[in-house]
Amino acid sequence: MNPDGTLNTAVIVKLEPDFSEGNVSYNADGTLNRAETKNILGPHSAVASTAALYSKVKYGSRVSVATMGPPIAEAALQQSQLICDADELHLYSDRIFAGADTLATAEVLKAGIKKMANGQPIDIVFAGHRASDGETGQTGPQTAWKLGYPFIGNVIDYDVDIKRGYVKVQRLIKSYGYHDIIEEIEAPLPIFMTLDPSFIPFFNTISQRLKLARHQKEAIGRSSQYKEYLKVFSAQSLEVNSKAVGLPGSPTIVYKVEKIPRAKANRKADVIDGSSQGNIGQVVTRIYDTLGGTIIK
Amino acid sequence: MTSPLSSISQTKIKENQETFIDDTRKENEKEIEENYRHLYIVIEQEEGTILPVSFEMLGEARRLIDDFNKRYKPEEKVVAIILGHNIRHLCKELIYYGADIVICADHPELRYNRNLLYTKIISQIVTDRTCAEKITSSIHPVSTATTTPASLNPIFSKPRYMFFSADDTGRHLSSTVMAELESGLASDINKLVINDLEIRHEHKTKGKPIVYEKTLEMYRPDFSGFLWTTILCLDNLNPDNKKKFHPQACSIIPGVFSRIERDTTREEKIIDFDPNISQEDLKIKIINRRIVQSKVDFNNKKTIVSFGRGIKESPEQNIKLIENLAKELDAEIGVSLPISKKPYPVSENLTSTYMIPDRVIGTSGRKVNPLLYFALGISGAVQHIAGMKESEFVISINQDIQAPIIDESDILIKGKIEEVLPLLINEIKKHKDKLQIPQGIEQ
Repeated sequence: MNPDGTLNTAVIVKLEPDFSEGNVSYNADGTLNRAETKNILGPHSAVASTAALYSKVKYGSRVSVATMGPPIAEAALQQSQLICDADELHLYSDRIFAGADTLATAEVLKAGIKKMANGQPIDIVFAGHRASDGETGQTGPQTAWKLGYPFIGNVIDYDVDIKRGYVKVQRLIKSYGYHDIIEEIEAPLPIFMTLDPSFIPFFNTISQRLKLARHQKEAIGRSSQYKEYLKVFSAQSLEVNSKAVGLPGSPTIVYKVEKIPRAKANRKADVIDGSSQGNIGQVVTRIYDTLGGTIIK
Repeated sequence: MTSPLSSISQTKIKENQETFIDDTRKENEKEIEENYRHLYIVIEQEEGTILPVSFEMLGEARRLIDDFNKRYKPEEKVVAIILGHNIRHLCKELIYYGADIVICADHPELRYNRNLLYTKIISQIVTDRTCAEKITSSIHPVSTATTTPASLNPIFSKPRYMFFSADDTGRHLSSTVMAELESGLASDINKLVINDLEIRHEHKTKGKPIVYEKTLEMYRPDFSGFLWTTILCLDNLNPDNKKKFHPQACSIIPGVFSRIERDTTREEKIIDFDPNISQEDLKIKIINRRIVQSKVDFNNKKTIVSFGRGIKESPEQNIKLIENLAKELDAEIGVSLPISKKPYPVSENLTSTYMIPDRVIGTSGRKVNPLLYFALGISGAVQHIAGMKESEFVISINQDIQAPIIDESDILIKGKIEEVLPLLINEIKKHKDKLQIPQGIEQ
């Protein structure tokens, strides 16, 4: 927290391929054509940015946004700033960071978060559920652990009690073979949370909506001049151990990449020409054979 | 390469390399034999129900370690770790389904998974010497009776391998436990192989070939479902940056591996672990927990109509048609993962109704087994197949009859969704009208 009692928050984001139709491009074999596909702020990073905006509107928090990547990853910071009206943008960019696995990435992010807000401690770190390209969902919790912050995942709502320095969180737990559960947790700050994709902030009061409008307007101005808010860090300025980051700091390697061989066919499909009414009629007969005595209203 | 001169220098290089390799390898092997042993599995349970993925992990672990023990000495074990409250009775089930040993931490504070507390307790368990000695003495029971365990047992420091579930709970836990143990982790694995691999890597081996024994090859399908990446977790043997990275850990996709047959004759070996819980960690409190019903109901519908990227040529029209088909068949609507990633530019209402993670079928969403499953414009990535392959009858509509979905379909209708669906809906209506004729006559 800052000396005046305001919260310091951080958002970790990632530049990812844009999977929306019209922007994404696939090769003939079904793999992603990275050269043709545009990059944008990842959708889960956008959700995390929204969670920071919520904190800004509701508690007047200060927001820092960070990413690790090559210089073009600035675009993700700019797009996040447009959502959350960030006060500070951090880019961790160094050749030696390249090829990092999640553990080595977390090492860099940890060092960066400690340099935010002029060295004031960060009270809440927000991150996305998982990246839509890497999809491991490991970087958030590993950064939390390295920071020494308790980790809470799948957050769908949160509420901060600034006086007590506590946060109350609702999270959605889904597992195969069991019911979905909503869990309510109370924890002292600081905390690291990843947002469930279904997180939607609600601004209920008129004063909140006025603040929201003011921040959205401010965000447009700030993000159009995002470079004024941008700080770029190298391994040296982050003061990280060069052997703990990038490839040297990664326990895992990619050994090989191959096309997934076609599994043995489980069924032998009848191929039917879909332009013939008679064929479709036969399909419908088989539909009702399958559904048996089911009564369809 | 063929000139005499170059062949001499080649030989010399090879000799030098071999000395380097031999020294490094021997040193490394010795250390690993002493320090890293067994396959540990973090079991997931909710309120006394063991989640299916736990049995699937045990099944795969059993197959891997049985094969391992045929090929390598000394023998290693499948060790299941279970945390919770009033769970002691679950331990024998884990033995019946393939564990050699169960380590059980039963404590009121462990009733529900709290990441911080669970991470600390799991880390305590897997680095605990006493537990390791009990495991080793189960392999050599005779000698431990006559000598002191400390003099006999190797210096255990961490597991060789570790498995977690790739659901949200297991994903978070695997991440934080591996951050604590400072080792590598691969997520969403659907194939595992243990092999001796010769590796030549700029950082790991300083470009020299070194054989890594007993290496876990962890296969993960990428987001497209068409590429398979093999991840390895390897010690840095590079003299400039030596570092041990064990255990070799991964999270495993639920629903992929099969469980072994329940065998109640397997010998029960259960180790009770007394967790060391600090008051500081109990400040994170679970105030309330309630079961919620998803708005999307896949379990109580006989038919599921799913669509994928193939709707793209006219998404708005196709979604309307899909809604009509679902209505006619009283079906629930599902989507493939790529659809939920980024909404299509259709109306607000459609976006919020269908393009949501709740409707995803596959490894990133739900696993379903309806009587009738429609795959509309779905190519059949492995992740999607894993979620629907247990359906009774599968009908797909696709323009491409080479698409992998054909191998999971009973009928593949070749054509565009926007052209086939109107015919199909029309025929269903006709069929229903026929059924209703008798009623009509009576009236």
